[in-house]
Amino acid sequence: MSRNADAGRGTNTPRPAGRPGGPGAATPFADRLAARLGSNSVTGLFAKLVFLGVVNGLGLYAVSTLLPARAWTPLVMVIVATLAIDAVYLSKRALPLKFMVPGTVALLVFQVYPVLYTAYIGFTNYGTGNVLTQEQAVGRIIAGATRVPEDATRFRSRPLVDDADGSLALLLTDPDGDVFLGTGDGLEPLAEGDVVGEGNDTVVAGRFRPMTLSEASQREAEVLAFAVPITDDAAAELEEGAAADAISVQTFTSAAVAVAALEHDPASGVITDTATGQVYEPVEGTYTAADGTTLRPGYRDVVGFGNYERVLTSPAIRGPFFRVFVWTFAFAILSMLTTFVMGLALAMALNDPRIKGRRLTRSLLIVPYALPSFMTALIWRGLLNQSFGPINRMFDWSVPWLSSQAFAGALPKFSILLVNLWLGFGYMFLINTGALQAIPADLTEAARVDGASGWQAFRNITLPLLLVAVGPLLIASFAFNFNNFNVVYLLTGGGPPIGGTPTPAGHTDILISYSYRLAFESGRGQDFGLAAAVSTIIFFLVAVFSYLGFKRTAVLEEIN
Amino acid sequence: MPVPTAEHAKLRNGAAGRVRNASSPRGVRWFRELGWRYVVAALAVAFALMPAYFVVLASFSPTATLQGSQLLPREVTTANYTRLFQVTPYWTWLGNSLKIAGGAAAVNMLLSAMAAYAFSRLRFTGRRVGLLAILLMQMFPQLLANVAIFLFLVNVRTYFPTIGFGTQLGLFLVYLGGALGTNTWLMKGFFDTVPTDLDESARVDGATHGQIFVRIILPLSAPILVVAGLLSFIFLFNEFILASILLGQEDGNQTLATGLYRFIDQNYGQQWGPFAAGALIGSLPTLLLFLFGQRWIVSGLTTGSVKG
Repeated sequence: MSRNADAGRGTNTPRPAGRPGGPGAATPFADRLAARLGSNSVTGLFAKLVFLGVVNGLGLYAVSTLLPARAWTPLVMVIVATLAIDAVYLSKRALPLKFMVPGTVALLVFQVYPVLYTAYIGFTNYGTGNVLTQEQAVGRIIAGATRVPEDATRFRSRPLVDDADGSLALLLTDPDGDVFLGTGDGLEPLAEGDVVGEGNDTVVAGRFRPMTLSEASQREAEVLAFAVPITDDAAAELEEGAAADAISVQTFTSAAVAVAALEHDPASGVITDTATGQVYEPVEGTYTAADGTTLRPGYRDVVGFGNYERVLTSPAIRGPFFRVFVWTFAFAILSMLTTFVMGLALAMALNDPRIKGRRLTRSLLIVPYALPSFMTALIWRGLLNQSFGPINRMFDWSVPWLSSQAFAGALPKFSILLVNLWLGFGYMFLINTGALQAIPADLTEAARVDGASGWQAFRNITLPLLLVAVGPLLIASFAFNFNNFNVVYLLTGGGPPIGGTPTPAGHTDILISYSYRLAFESGRGQDFGLAAAVSTIIFFLVAVFSYLGFKRTAVLEEIN
Repeated sequence: MPVPTAEHAKLRNGAAGRVRNASSPRGVRWFRELGWRYVVAALAVAFALMPAYFVVLASFSPTATLQGSQLLPREVTTANYTRLFQVTPYWTWLGNSLKIAGGAAAVNMLLSAMAAYAFSRLRFTGRRVGLLAILLMQMFPQLLANVAIFLFLVNVRTYFPTIGFGTQLGLFLVYLGGALGTNTWLMKGFFDTVPTDLDESARVDGATHGQIFVRIILPLSAPILVVAGLLSFIFLFNEFILASILLGQEDGNQTLATGLYRFIDQNYGQQWGPFAAGALIGSLPTLLLFLFGQRWIVSGLTTGSVKG
């Protein structure tokens, strides 16, 4: 091993075994430096320096971006993280951390934080109509309620849209020919490279593209009510008086500088109509007047257990939610049982050394499992198509495999279980074959000699021994199917829809696809708050089951 | 491969064969003990391969629609393949998938191997808690936090457009979040079986932990690295929900999963042929990995991670 340890070292100096980098006049500088930094090879030192250089470079870049933007929270997080990484790798101690830090950082940023953030969003009304922070919402409300003075500056304008969240913006050209991007957050001058492409392929500032005519007409009211708030600084730059408050849309192709008809008082937090004196107070994310009229847009606000209350008490949501909830369990349990039973039956049938070609059979049976499940779900969707799916054509049927509403979507549910059986039985066959071969044959033979029937021997000897081996995998299979999004969403899209519900919910939806559709299928508006609440409920369910599962299988004992 | 014996041939002759079997006591006995097992195997294989049959057929058929799809081939053309490559950026999607899933799987493997080394070889405060925490986090799959990850990346985009919402790099980084998990446990278990004498003698000779990790543990653990890497790759290649949320609308930005879904979603009747062609090509990477790595993957699967 000494050759291994010395290979890659930048020097041939023989050195005594023992403490690396120990004192010695002959030790070259690089080695001493390496030792000081907790590393005893020049290659290692080099790798470490490159790594730290990259980390600190990225850290500095992030700081240089976040500081001018006054994004304090992310700024602090970036600085703390960078310094922590430096401390770990420059220290001679903290050895375990040196190995754990990269994975842990990824885990914290992309898994722990999102989980906590999900729990938080579950307590808010975040969603369509309540996307903005309170500050942004006030800016937009003020900017939106305006009148245009006679001598106002007018712009040529073009409505833009951001595909990420559907937010609007304007591409503005002033009478001097200067070009600006007007977003709901304010006005920014555009430089040469900020507008790329032409016509409908134009991309502005890397985010926005022009709305097509049909999009603009679909969102006509929203586009015409859109306004860009302008600060006093921006007003001065446009050579407008301090009275200018916004640039508001006039027609699809023009916009003009306007002054506010509403006023926000930061001290009391209310918005007042300067003409009528009507007062709007902030109530759970919406500025509301005493007579119930509200101002749009709303802002995201903590609503406590509101979402959970809706799930549990609102009849229109509770009904479908309860169905989805029950079906999720039924789906996970039945998927586990059907694949297990079929896999075991096959394993027992083929677990005979006299059968020829067992290896080939095994390879062929694993094919469904080896194909990407997103692909097979989409394929099955075509095969089960009612009007011209090959399955129906083969038998000259017209069975609505995926769309029947009858008996609460019993047929689509059956189809999903069938497809999941197809996907999973090969895997169960494999593990059961393995487990069966580990059970000594003389046990069952002894039972048979003692007069047990084949079924009795199976029931009392083979099955219990088998379950010890595959039990944990069955629990894992249950947990996996509990969140088996691909099969459900890609096969039926959750449908057919349950009638008369305010949220998108279908007969075959499981909790995870239901939550996804609440958040991202914008047909009836996105409801991030409710979706996050549903996700949190799933978290707890999965946690309880995993806990019970682990307790049974005593995995926790292995830690020591 | 079932070698066709005389009995087997009789069996394949169906009802007629069975009648003759019934008349011969030896045939009956053979069938009751062994023959029916071949029938079961044949039925199971047919069930397993039936969709693949339709896909291969549709992909080489002259019609692109489901309407005209056949049960038996009448004519073989590659028109659907040509059409697929004309109307979709298919190779870009496949490239994106291979790049993102392959890259993330490789990095995930390295990150979890490093953590597993620490858990296996070093004794430190928080070791037990750390192992437990990883196990607990694994119970909350990332896809459950999809809303939060989406909103997070939309916010990130405001400051760092290159890794924010709508970028492949962003999706790649999100995938790294799942690195410490089942794989760490899998690898720790394997590292524990590598004799510690090896690293002790290396340490006596002056090797650092980094050198021991790279030069001793990793080479000796190649099998488990392959299993973990393959499983991560297959999982990420299949990943749909985060990719569909985070990659945005741009067509060239999609992975195979999101691209093919968007292609076929509203057009089942019309685009069935090209879709079948795409499904066939897209199935090859994981299918080949499975066939070549079968023995390793099976042992890996039965040690804990599960697909379905």
